[in-house]
Amino acid sequence: MATPSKPERIPVEERLFSLVLALLATEGGLTKNEILSTVQGYRQRFQLGGDNSSLERQFERDKDDIRDLGVPLETVESPLEPGNNQSLRYLIPKGSYDLPQDIVFSAKEITLLTLAATVWREGSLSGETRRALMKLRSLGVESNEAIIGYAPKLSARESAFEPLNIALERKAIVTFSYLKPGERASRQRRVAPLALVQHQGRWHLHGIDQGADAPRTFLLSRIVDAVRITPRTFEPQGTDFAARALDELDAIWNANVAVVELAPGSDASVRLARRGEAIDDGSSVLLHYTDLNILADELAGYGPEVLVRSPDALRDAVRQRLLAVVAAHEDRQEAREDG
Amino acid sequence: MAEARTPLHAQDKLLLLLSLVPYLMDHDRVAVGDVAEHFGVSPQQIRDAVRLIAVSGVPGETRQYQPGDLFDIAWDDFEQNDQIVLTHLVAIDDSPRFSAREASALIAGLQYLSALPENQDREAIGMLMTKLARGSSATPSEVAVAGADADAALAPIRSAIETGTQVEFDYLNARGEHERRRVDPLRVESVDQDWYLRGWCHLRQAVRTFRFDRMASLEVTGEPASDHGAHASLPENLFEGSPEDLLVDIDVAASARVLLADYLREAAPGVEENGVIHTSMRVTHYHGLKRLAARLSGVLTVTGPAEARRAVAEWAAAGAARYENKHEHEHKNEHDTGNA
Repeated sequence: MATPSKPERIPVEERLFSLVLALLATEGGLTKNEILSTVQGYRQRFQLGGDNSSLERQFERDKDDIRDLGVPLETVESPLEPGNNQSLRYLIPKGSYDLPQDIVFSAKEITLLTLAATVWREGSLSGETRRALMKLRSLGVESNEAIIGYAPKLSARESAFEPLNIALERKAIVTFSYLKPGERASRQRRVAPLALVQHQGRWHLHGIDQGADAPRTFLLSRIVDAVRITPRTFEPQGTDFAARALDELDAIWNANVAVVELAPGSDASVRLARRGEAIDDGSSVLLHYTDLNILADELAGYGPEVLVRSPDALRDAVRQRLLAVVAAHEDRQEAREDG
Repeated sequence: MAEARTPLHAQDKLLLLLSLVPYLMDHDRVAVGDVAEHFGVSPQQIRDAVRLIAVSGVPGETRQYQPGDLFDIAWDDFEQNDQIVLTHLVAIDDSPRFSAREASALIAGLQYLSALPENQDREAIGMLMTKLARGSSATPSEVAVAGADADAALAPIRSAIETGTQVEFDYLNARGEHERRRVDPLRVESVDQDWYLRGWCHLRQAVRTFRFDRMASLEVTGEPASDHGAHASLPENLFEGSPEDLLVDIDVAASARVLLADYLREAAPGVEENGVIHTSMRVTHYHGLKRLAARLSGVLTVTGPAEARRAVAEWAAAGAARYENKHEHEHKNEHDTGNA
């Protein structure tokens, strides 16, 4: 049997570019068969009347890659044969693809957006902002000033951030193992994600806990295994979830106040004094907080430099932590504390 | 400084092609070097992209990619003068929209920046966010960053950097020592809520990193900064290990490993056994270690050397003792009252 001549090798980006161009140029859309048999990069490997299953899988992956860039690659059913996959037509509507003509950015705005993008230079959104900058540059506006000596940064180092952000966009239910602050053992959670918010420097997931069937807010740093994105999707009920989650966290933060005495001149006094409101001639400070256990961890670190005066629950939490550290680090002598 | 240009993935190459076409449409004639600089890629990456654009197009009526179905460029200008002139266009008229995730990343970045003193024009930032949302192909994801009040030291230090002026402040270092430091400020950095100044320290005669929340009595001196800093290279990492670091053995609860990512970048991988990881980490001094161990009560235990364990135990015991005293005090008061 004669082997077919080896098809010429077309670079991936050429195939993807050709697919975008073909789908932008068509008005009524192209069927999968038309795409595979005529578009550059596919047509070279298309076998008329033969098995094109691997080429079809390639097309599926390419569609995902293209959509991932924000290109609105749509499908329309044939009105004559609804439900028939073979007669589905693919297209990229110009109106949804083109950046609207009236959206223009000034040089000052480009400067600010460039800085907003570099805020993410580390962590999972660095790829997203790099791409957004590329699109901004296609508009040809130069930024009006170089940003010298300035490097603000958002970390989003938590490995949960990226899968949660993807799940948020897909409206997909996620599962993960969560170690609730103050608890020793983690528990499996099933959540419909609604928003990712950073509050007081910490990332939170806001969503509907499927077990409790109620809204919950989770700290990303307390998700202790890999987030799994399930195939199940949901329709969010409502809007402005991020703004509302932040309002809620603000309300909790405002309502919770601790009174903490600071040893003069200590690390605690220098660093905590500027975080809260000084009272008693600066010897104590009023500290707001969102989570008692997280504040207790921080205050325990200051050892004898702080004394929690209130609330009682926080004072006990700090004391218990310190006693546990003593018990875990005492050598060759009986622990003096009982219990 | 010559930036390292990383090779692009196919998806990024596609995006460069889709971004380059509308840019070239707006520029009748443009040098490869200028385009490369504008897009932040290498001239060779631009040449490769232009070559690919020039032979690409749509299948067309004949489905045979006839010349009229393809882009074209002025080849002589390109080959001989390294200049780009598009002479025929197909399919693309405008820049692509942002993806939902791209728009939301920029919006969240703007929210973070809006807390800074120079970005107090909330209306302008709000309009910019609206433009990003309208320019996105789907509703931007619900990602938000709460703006926090920026540190009061930020504005004067920023202006000292811009004017090249020395600053001076009281500084409490990580060992707990107070010193007056004179610094040529080089760069302000932040990580989330924490702000840092990097600069040439006249006392140490070296580049140092200072936390804003450990500074007090900041003064912009009016004296011009020395040129020491100009030749100093700023490493990307804010904190770096040093050969004088001490090695300590630790046990870490395996379930809490991710909580420690911030602290344990210096830790060895370790061995896991019954839900506990036995490993070791480098610390600059026990002054920092005892604080870390007290902060991570129940999660991290220092197992050696004995001297390190003692430093931790004494620190925590002194902390706990403050509560014992207070309890005794209250107890005595009650007792006294009872007797009265």
